[in-house]
Amino acid sequence: MIDSISGKTPSRKKGWTRREWRYFWLGLVFASPWIIGFLIFTVYPFFSSLYFSLTEYDLFNPPRWVGIDNYKAIMEDRSFYKSITNTLFMAFISVPITLFSSLLIAMLLNFKVRGINYYRTMFYLPAVIPGVASALLWTWMLNPDFGLVNMFLRWVGLPDPAWLLDPRFTKPSLVLMGLWGSGAGALIFLAALQGVPQTYYEAAQVDGANWWHRFWKITVPALSPIILFQLIMGLIGAFQIFTESYILAGGKAGSGSSLGGPGQSLLFYAVNLYQEAFIHLKMGYASALAWILFIIVMLITLLVLKTSKRWVYYGGE
Amino acid sequence: MKRKGSIWGLVFVLLLAILSGCGGKKTAGSGSESGEPAGGDAKKEPVELSFWYGWTGTEAAALEKLIRKWNDIRPDIRVKGLSQSDYQKQLTAITGGNPPDIASNFGQDVVPWGERGAMMPLDDYIKKDNVDLGDFVPAALSSSQSDGKTYALPIAMHVSMLFYNKELLEKAGLNGPPETMGQLKEYIAKLSVKEDGGKLQRLGLWPGVDAFTFSYAYGGSYYDAENKQVTPDNAGVKAAVEFGKGIWDQFGSKELDRFASGLGQYMSPQNPFFTGKYAMTIDGEWLPTFIKQYAPNLQYGIAPIPYDENNPSLKHPGNVTTSVFYIPKGVKHPDESWKFLKWLTEPEQMAEFTAAIGNLPTRTSLQQHEIYKDVPGFQEFLQYSSSPNLHSFPATSFSAEYMTEFTTQYNAILRGEVGVDEGLKRVKDKIQPLVK
Repeated sequence: MIDSISGKTPSRKKGWTRREWRYFWLGLVFASPWIIGFLIFTVYPFFSSLYFSLTEYDLFNPPRWVGIDNYKAIMEDRSFYKSITNTLFMAFISVPITLFSSLLIAMLLNFKVRGINYYRTMFYLPAVIPGVASALLWTWMLNPDFGLVNMFLRWVGLPDPAWLLDPRFTKPSLVLMGLWGSGAGALIFLAALQGVPQTYYEAAQVDGANWWHRFWKITVPALSPIILFQLIMGLIGAFQIFTESYILAGGKAGSGSSLGGPGQSLLFYAVNLYQEAFIHLKMGYASALAWILFIIVMLITLLVLKTSKRWVYYGGE
Repeated sequence: MKRKGSIWGLVFVLLLAILSGCGGKKTAGSGSESGEPAGGDAKKEPVELSFWYGWTGTEAAALEKLIRKWNDIRPDIRVKGLSQSDYQKQLTAITGGNPPDIASNFGQDVVPWGERGAMMPLDDYIKKDNVDLGDFVPAALSSSQSDGKTYALPIAMHVSMLFYNKELLEKAGLNGPPETMGQLKEYIAKLSVKEDGGKLQRLGLWPGVDAFTFSYAYGGSYYDAENKQVTPDNAGVKAAVEFGKGIWDQFGSKELDRFASGLGQYMSPQNPFFTGKYAMTIDGEWLPTFIKQYAPNLQYGIAPIPYDENNPSLKHPGNVTTSVFYIPKGVKHPDESWKFLKWLTEPEQMAEFTAAIGNLPTRTSLQQHEIYKDVPGFQEFLQYSSSPNLHSFPATSFSAEYMTEFTTQYNAILRGEVGVDEGLKRVKDKIQPLVK
């Protein structure tokens, strides 16, 4: 907490005085509800899942140590690779598209026109709707025969795909659904946009910059910390994607039907993990999956942060 | 910023680990809930049992009626029913040490859960109270048994038969339903209708249909218990997969996806079989009740599943699935739980419940029961349920994974992503290591 917000705590050469120690302990006591909760509900599960990932564990019998067998088995599991591919598609296709559309919406909502507050509300509304409800709603929107999307496509004379039934179109369907919810991201962009000093634009205009220059040289750099934030949150969200697939891919698991939709095209990482843990009762294996996911997300986040030095500008620097 | 990733990761593993954390408290948690002394039957306070079942709506109401009946005759054991169709909740309750006293589940979960110790073996009780297991349909009971242990008793069973649209068959000049798999193939070709440039208008039979049922039509088997080998590459299973693949390829994924996208909801008058989009379908004993409700004018017939013409001994094949009652591990009053479970599966209660919800009874002695006289289509199904060629998917600790993987590869085979042999080999490679 301390380091990222206020820099660093002032360091001293001497040890603490008695009084400072007293405050230190008192502070700890006051913070203890959080500390204890953190230890019990975060730190302990964190390490126990690491332990379980090295065991064979089915919930009912005591875990049996198997070393790195789970990790080895994962490396040979076709469903694992399928789920990674599907998930990366969402991370690298859906996230940038949604990000861009959020930015676009934010810029539109930044115009000072009459009734702008209503527009802003309208675009934000989808973000208020719970995931399950919006997924169910979209099954109707994307219904190939009576759905609004295909009605529109037919009207303009474009091909009308079988969206959620055709393995080639299931993920694009999810991208579409994500776009619908981009108002949430737009709100954050909007707040940032309003913090960009108008003087920059005025100065640029005086110097003869056109709208593209103003966008690319002022708006984007000024928003870059927000873009970075949204990019990382979006990537993390993409790796977590579950609800949409669980609802859209239909049918409960069991009785021989598998999760993941037509041709396993919606078998995302979290869906695969859920299936291994709660349907196949392989908690050890699932814990190993969780750890691999953790490492992947951390690597990707680090990579993004590393490259961000080249394109993110902080106002204070 | 780095923190964001790790917090998220922590939250994620937390989910897994909460369950495991609860697992450790199993012994400490039990018995602490109501303060009632466990065991000992000479007390005035009635024992209260919680009963979780997966049925909802009118089906749940039928079960509640039975529960009221029990509470009237046994005031010393009060049962409280709870409609709880999320079976993962049972898992968490059992590992958390606070399970329901009796619960329902699907037959295919029994052995995977039972062998891992989540369900109480009932054999001692069965022996003590002389429950005649011989009265149960073998294919239905076998899904609850493994290694000489019975983990649950089946209350209802399902089996599929062939439904055909009489008008459409007549129009195509076909006399009566197909009897063999060879005939079925011809029927499908004749009954499927394509219009303007190959657009499918009607299908003889949806080719993605249940490979399990057809495997038994070809005498297939999924597990060789003697040699401890999973056998997805068994000749019968392979023949069933090839049959599905053969029909699928007549039309192609693209055309079938387009066709499927225009099909109506299953539980509605737009059910493709009701509207004539399917000329035939393979479905369970509940379908006649739906037809009565949604398409009362449909002229249809019910016929046995076709069998391999080269092997007449395989006549009347079928895939059986069940709904069961079981006692979770760690219950406080196992004796009382058993008394209630035993009572529920007695012929009288089973007849009342299965007739009310339109499911087949699992006791052969009930197959002639007059309570089913008015259930549409039941005479055909009751008769069929005594066929010796009915099987259920082999009950093993890995059957859930086996069925998932088989279904996944079957779909991949249909869609041409993998060849038949290679697909079935993948199933074998993935599942065989799980055999112990």
